Amino acid sequence: MGKGGFHLETKEPIIKLAIAEKFINLARANSIWPMTFGLACCAIEMMAAAMARFDIARFGAEVFRPSPRQADLMIVNGTVTKKMAPTVVTLYEQMPSPKWVIVMGNCAISGGPFAFEGQYNIIEGIDKLIPVDVYVPGCPPRPEGLLEGLMKLEEKITGTRRFPVPEQKW
Amino acid sequence: MVKEISDKIKEAVASVEPVETPYEQRGYHLAIEATRTNIVDIVNFFDKSGFYLADMCCVDYIDYLEVVYLFNNHNQVCRVKVTLKVDPDKPSAPTISHIYKIARWYEREIHEFFGVLFDGHPFMTYLFLHDQIDFYPLRKKQVPVPEEDKKLLNSFNPGEQEDGFFLNLGPQHPSTHGVLRVVVKMNGEYMLSAEPVLGYLHRMHEKMAENRTYQQFYPNAARMDYLGALNFNLGYVTTVEKLCGIEVPERAQYIRTITAELNRISSHLLWLGAFVADLGGLTPFLYTFDDRENILDILEAVAGSRLTYSYLRFGGLFNDVDDDFVANVRKFIDRLRSRFSMYERLITGNVIFINRVKNIGVMDETYPLKYGCSGPVIRSIGIPFDIRKHEPYAVYDRINFNVATGTNGDNMDRYLVRIKEMEISLDIIEKALKDLPTGPVKAEKIPKKLKPPKGDIYHTVESPRGELGIYIVSDESDVPYRMRWRVPSYSNLMTFPQLAEGSLIADAIATLGSYDLVIPEIDR
Amino acid sequence: MCGLDNIIAIVGKEIVRLILGLIGVLIVVVVNALILTWVERKVSGHMQKRIGPKEVGPYGLIQPIADGLKLLGKELLTPANVDKPLYYLAPVIVFIPVLVSFIVIPFDGFLQVKDINVGILVILAFSSLSVLSILIAGWGSNNKYSLIGATRSVAQNIAYEIPLLLSLLPVVFMANSLSLKDIVEAQRDGWFVWRWQFFAFLIYFIAATAETNRTPFDLPEAESELVAGFHTEYSGMRFALFFLAEYTNIFIASAIATTFFLGGYLGPVLPGIVWFFIKTYFLVFVIMWFRWTFPRVRFDQLLNFSWKILIPVAFANLIVTGGILKL
Ligand code: SF4
Repeated sequence: MGKGGFHLETKEPIIKLAIAEKFINLARANSIWPMTFGLACCAIEMMAAAMARFDIARFGAEVFRPSPRQADLMIVNGTVTKKMAPTVVTLYEQMPSPKWVIVMGNCAISGGPFAFEGQYNIIEGIDKLIPVDVYVPGCPPRPEGLLEGLMKLEEKITGTRRFPVPEQKW
Repeated sequence: MVKEISDKIKEAVASVEPVETPYEQRGYHLAIEATRTNIVDIVNFFDKSGFYLADMCCVDYIDYLEVVYLFNNHNQVCRVKVTLKVDPDKPSAPTISHIYKIARWYEREIHEFFGVLFDGHPFMTYLFLHDQIDFYPLRKKQVPVPEEDKKLLNSFNPGEQEDGFFLNLGPQHPSTHGVLRVVVKMNGEYMLSAEPVLGYLHRMHEKMAENRTYQQFYPNAARMDYLGALNFNLGYVTTVEKLCGIEVPERAQYIRTITAELNRISSHLLWLGAFVADLGGLTPFLYTFDDRENILDILEAVAGSRLTYSYLRFGGLFNDVDDDFVANVRKFIDRLRSRFSMYERLITGNVIFINRVKNIGVMDETYPLKYGCSGPVIRSIGIPFDIRKHEPYAVYDRINFNVATGTNGDNMDRYLVRIKEMEISLDIIEKALKDLPTGPVKAEKIPKKLKPPKGDIYHTVESPRGELGIYIVSDESDVPYRMRWRVPSYSNLMTFPQLAEGSLIADAIATLGSYDLVIPEIDR
Repeated sequence: MCGLDNIIAIVGKEIVRLILGLIGVLIVVVVNALILTWVERKVSGHMQKRIGPKEVGPYGLIQPIADGLKLLGKELLTPANVDKPLYYLAPVIVFIPVLVSFIVIPFDGFLQVKDINVGILVILAFSSLSVLSILIAGWGSNNKYSLIGATRSVAQNIAYEIPLLLSLLPVVFMANSLSLKDIVEAQRDGWFVWRWQFFAFLIYFIAATAETNRTPFDLPEAESELVAGFHTEYSGMRFALFFLAEYTNIFIASAIATTFFLGGYLGPVLPGIVWFFIKTYFLVFVIMWFRWTFPRVRFDQLLNFSWKILIPVAFANLIVTGGILKL
C-alpha cells in the first residue's frame, strides 16, 4: 500500500493453486449448467439440442436451471429487443460468477435479419451489453452448432479440446 | 348470404353504402365506408348478426389514415371490410372495445403505432412498444409522440396504484414459452387478475415489409411463426400470388399441402410435449421431440433447413421432391400412427393428467365472437370453423377430410382436438400422396420484381394455431405499401385474462399452455 | 492402536462409537447424494430415450464429482434485500435432521450408529424440521416465488406428516417396539408388507414421496409455476446443500420403508448390508420412476388427497390392526 491511497500490486499468490485451479476448471468445463431461457426461434433448436437425438446431457450440460442464481451459462438464443434488453442484462447480473455466455443465432450476434435501416426496436448484437464468450452463427444454428459452441467454451475454460477437430472437407 | 347482409345493413344503419367486391381478387365480399358517426352502429350491427372481428388495422395514406375493420362469420364465409377515414393531424376515432373485447388490444396497438386515439377506450397504454420510441413507427412520415400521449401510454404501473400481491410471470419464466410477461394479482394461490404485456419480441416485421420487396420479405414469414413456418410461408405466398394473379402448377400445390401438413404435425407435437411439461411431466416432451425429429429430417431433405423453412416460391416451389421423400413420408405416417396409442397410455389415460385438465379453462360460445379466437381453441368449443374447409387454398378442396371438434372448450378438449388434428393431417397427407400428379413445380415467367396491381387484399390460411390473415395494400411498386399480419395467437391469448380470473395459478398456467402460443407471432 | 484405546478409555466406548459413526454418516450422505444424482440423470436419460451423462469419466461416473467441485467453486451470491440471518441459516438447518436420521437407521445387524429405543420418533421429529428450513429459506429470500413455494411446502408437509405417522404405527404395534432394530428383527418370519400391512406400505410410500417434495408432489419447487420454488435465490454451495438434503431425504424415506415393511437388512445368502441397500435403492428408483412419468398434481388436489383419502384409510388400517392384535 503506498502513501496517500491504494494501488494495486501484482504479487505472486502466497499459495500456488495451479493444480487445484486446473482441477476446478476441468470440473467447471464438464458441468456447465445452462439457464432455461428462450427468446425466439433459436430457442427451439436449443431445446432440440437437449432432446433425445442430440442429448447435450452427454457432456453434463442438460441441467437446465430455471433460476439464474444456479446457472453457469446463459445461452442468448434469439432477437434481443430494446424492451427485453434490461431483463437480459439483469439475468446476466444475477448469475454467480464464474459465468459464461454463448450467443446463438445471428439475431443475438448482430441483429441478423432484423438489422435494417430505420429499425427502432432491436439491439444489434448482445455483445454491446454483456460480455460474450462464444458465438454460434446461423439462423437458426443447428443443434450440432450449439454442441460445437459448448466444446469451444470448454476449450476456453480448460485450454484443451475434448474431441479432435474434424477434418475440413472443402 | 352476402346479398342478405348487404340488404340488412342498409336497413339497420342509415346512410350506408355496401359495395360488393370480387371475392376472388380481394378476399372479402363487401366493402363499407363508414364515418365517425355511424361506425359504432355498423359494428353493433355485425355484433348482433353473429360476426366476429377478424382483424383491425390501420393504413397511413399520408393524406388520411384509414382504420380497417374486417369481419367474418363462423358459419358461412362472409368477409366484410369496413373502413373509416381519420384525420392525420389529430387522429381519433370512437372506440368499439365495449362491443368486441379483442378490440381493446387492436386499438391499443393502432394507437401506439399510428397515434390514433380511440375515444372512450379505458386503457390506452403501451402494448408492444416502450417509452424510448418517441415517434409512431408505422406512419409514413416521422411523427413525434406528443407529451400527453406519452403520459397516457406510460400509465400502466401495476403494484403502484393499489395494494396486493403482484407477481410477474415472465418475461423470463419457464412456462411462458418465450418472452411473454403476464402481470398477475394474486390472493394466495388464486389469481385475481391477469394482464399480459406483449412486445418483448417485437421484431418490426410490418415495418420491414415496407422496406423490402415482396421476394426479400419472404424469409420473414418463417421467423414469425417458427413452429408452423411452412404454413406461414404458404399464407404469404398464396396472398401475393392472388394479388398478382399467378397460377401455380398442380404438382406444386399438392406438395405445398403435404409439407404444410407435415409442418402442422410437427408444431402440434412440440405443443403436446410443452403442454405436458407445463403440467410437470417432462418425459413426453422428449418423446414428441423424437417424433418431431423425423419430420424435420424429411423436410430438411427437401427444404434445406430444420426450422425456418423458406421452401416455397411465388408460383411454385424451390425444388421438386423425389421418390425418397414419398417413401419417407409413408414410413413416417405408419410410425406416428403406431405411436398414438403410446401417447394415449402415457398421457391421455393418466389420472393426474385428466384431473389437471378436465373442466379447467372452460370457454363458451361467446368467446370466439367477442375475442375472434380461432383454430383448435374454438374447434374445441364445438364450432367446426376451419379455413381449410371454409376458404380452401392449395388443394384442400380436392381432399376429403374431417374437422376435429370438441364439446366443452376446456383444456382437455383443446388437447384432444389437437391430437385428433394430427391424425387428420396424416390422412390428408396420405390422400395427397396418392394422387400426387407429375409435372412442373414452378410457374413460368415469374418476373424478378413482382409489381402487383393497385389495390388491397385480405387472404387467410389455417396455421397450426388458427386463422392467419394477411392484408396487403399495394401501390403498384415492388414494395408493399402496407402489410398487416393477423396472427392467431394474438386473439387466442386475449381470452387469457378472463379465463385466469379467479383460478388457481397452476390451472392458469395449464390454460396458458393449452393455447399453443408462439410469442414472436404475437409480437411480430 | 494404543491411541485409540487410550481415547476409548478416557471418553468411553459409546462416545467414540458415536463420533466414528457420525463421520461415517457424513461420508455416506455425501457419497449417497453423488451416486443418486448420477443415477437420477442416467435413469431420466434412459427413460427419455437418451443416454445421459457419458463423456465425463466412464459412463459419466465422474459427472457428480465435477458438479460438486464446480458448485464449490461458485460465487456465493447474497442478493440484496434478503433477510440475512435467515437466508444464511436455512441451508444449514436443512442438513441437521438429515444427519440425525441416519444415526438410528440399522444398515445391518451390527451397523447402526446408535440404537435408540424411540428411534422412529427421532426420525419423525427431526424430519419435520426440514420444513422449517424450507419456510425460512422462502421467507428469507425475499422473493415472491420462494415465498409461495415455502407456504405450499408447509401446508403439504403438515398434511402428509399425519398419514406418514399413521401408516407407521400399525407396524410399531405389531413389532411392539419403537426401536428400528427391533422392528427389523420382528420381521424374521415375514416382511410386514406381506403381513397385512400392504396398505400401510402404500400410504407410507405416497406420503413419503410428498414429504420429500418429489413429482407428482413437487409443488414447492414446481418449475413451470414457481421457477425454482423456495431455493430460487440460492446459488453455489448453499444450493448444493438443498440438493444434498433432497437426495438424502429420498434415501432416508426409502430406508425407513425398507426397515418397516421390507425386512430391512434381512435376506438370504448376501450380507445384510447388501440387502439393505438393494431394497432401499430399488425404492429410490421407484421414486425416480414416478418423477419421470407423472405430471404434477394441483395444490388443492394434493391437500384433498391427503385429508380425504390417505388419512381416513390410514386410520381405518390402524384401528383394524390394533383390534386384531388385541384379540
Ligand atoms: S437468428 Fe434467425 S432463427 Fe435465430 S432468433 Fe434470429 S431470426 Fe430466429
